[in-house]
Amino acid sequence: MTQPFQPEGGSRLNEFRFGSMRFVLDLSQPLYEQVLEQFRNSIAKGEIALGEKMPSVRELAQALKINPNTVLRAYQELERDALTETRRGQGTFITTDAERVAEVRRKLAVQAVTDFLNKMRSLGLTKDEILRLLQEKGGDGDVG
Amino acid sequence: MAMSVEAIVGERLVKRYGKRPALNGLSFTIPAHRVTAVLGPNGAGKSTLMRMIAGMVVPDDGELKVFGQSPGWKLNPSIAYLPDRARWYGSHTVSDALEWGERLLPGFDRDRAYDLARDFKLDSQMQVSGMSKGQEARLMLILCLARDVPLLLLDEPFSGIDMISREKIVAALIDSFSERKQTVLISTHEIAETEGLFDYAVFIREGRTALFGSVEELRERQGSIQDIYRKLFEG
Repeated sequence: MTQPFQPEGGSRLNEFRFGSMRFVLDLSQPLYEQVLEQFRNSIAKGEIALGEKMPSVRELAQALKINPNTVLRAYQELERDALTETRRGQGTFITTDAERVAEVRRKLAVQAVTDFLNKMRSLGLTKDEILRLLQEKGGDGDVG
Repeated sequence: MAMSVEAIVGERLVKRYGKRPALNGLSFTIPAHRVTAVLGPNGAGKSTLMRMIAGMVVPDDGELKVFGQSPGWKLNPSIAYLPDRARWYGSHTVSDALEWGERLLPGFDRDRAYDLARDFKLDSQMQVSGMSKGQEARLMLILCLARDVPLLLLDEPFSGIDMISREKIVAALIDSFSERKQTVLISTHEIAETEGLFDYAVFIREGRTALFGSVEELRERQGSIQDIYRKLFEG
């Protein structure tokens, strides 16, 4: 029962650090999606470096105190997405393909914009109003 | 997650003790190779159900199939059962208990048992009669987890046990789930600490199924297992 990937000492249950990524699970939401999305987002953001070794299914299950099946399903989905690759006898690694990561990042951005637009439309805003708002709010700092 | 093959099917199970029904028309299915929580207040019928699956209690009515068979001696070698109360030979040491397990329990893996004893910090010369409740629970659990059998039944493996022992048990269970394709049933009141372990849950109220389903689907619709338990049984 070695656990090189320890949850932070004295922290709450179901928390885990990996690279600069901080994993927190919310038990009121499906866990599989949370594991999947947190990895996907962190890889897209570059919080986990290309080619880095993933914790083993057992290590992550131990750290998060969840069923290994749940971790395994999320890992399988990441692999189908070509964000990770399993090397025989060595474990699972983040892809070294920067283009693939950029693609996924763009897909996540498109999804975020789509969600945003749907929300704006549900509030009854027109395209022009949305654009004006974006320029207004986007102007004050973070967004160029 | 698609429903996998079923391992255990109960249909309208009834068991009475005197006039009081412990099970009162309980119906459910337990999927194979998954970890299922058996949840409900004290006296709901959880232990009766576990004993029935282990073949120690016969239903008064209804039908129970475990791997397609009626429970009984033929199935016993396939089942590792952790009872809700311990029964020991007081003069036994930890290693006596493990040797006993190796002689009598089908599928018993001696090396795994000693590994677990080390992980659980149980000295092999320690006498059973001098053990704390947590140490005793860990020893009982070793006798179950060291067995490579298709069905693992754990009745209240965490009750009355200190936090460190509980954490060790949870860690040992996660290791065991990563290594083996077992069908596992766990009854517990320690939901907050363990709900991440479960694939499925059966909620029992007064001997009947109050709710049954995939834990991830239940979370999607209704929130955490702890919340669902509170909604079902509060007031």
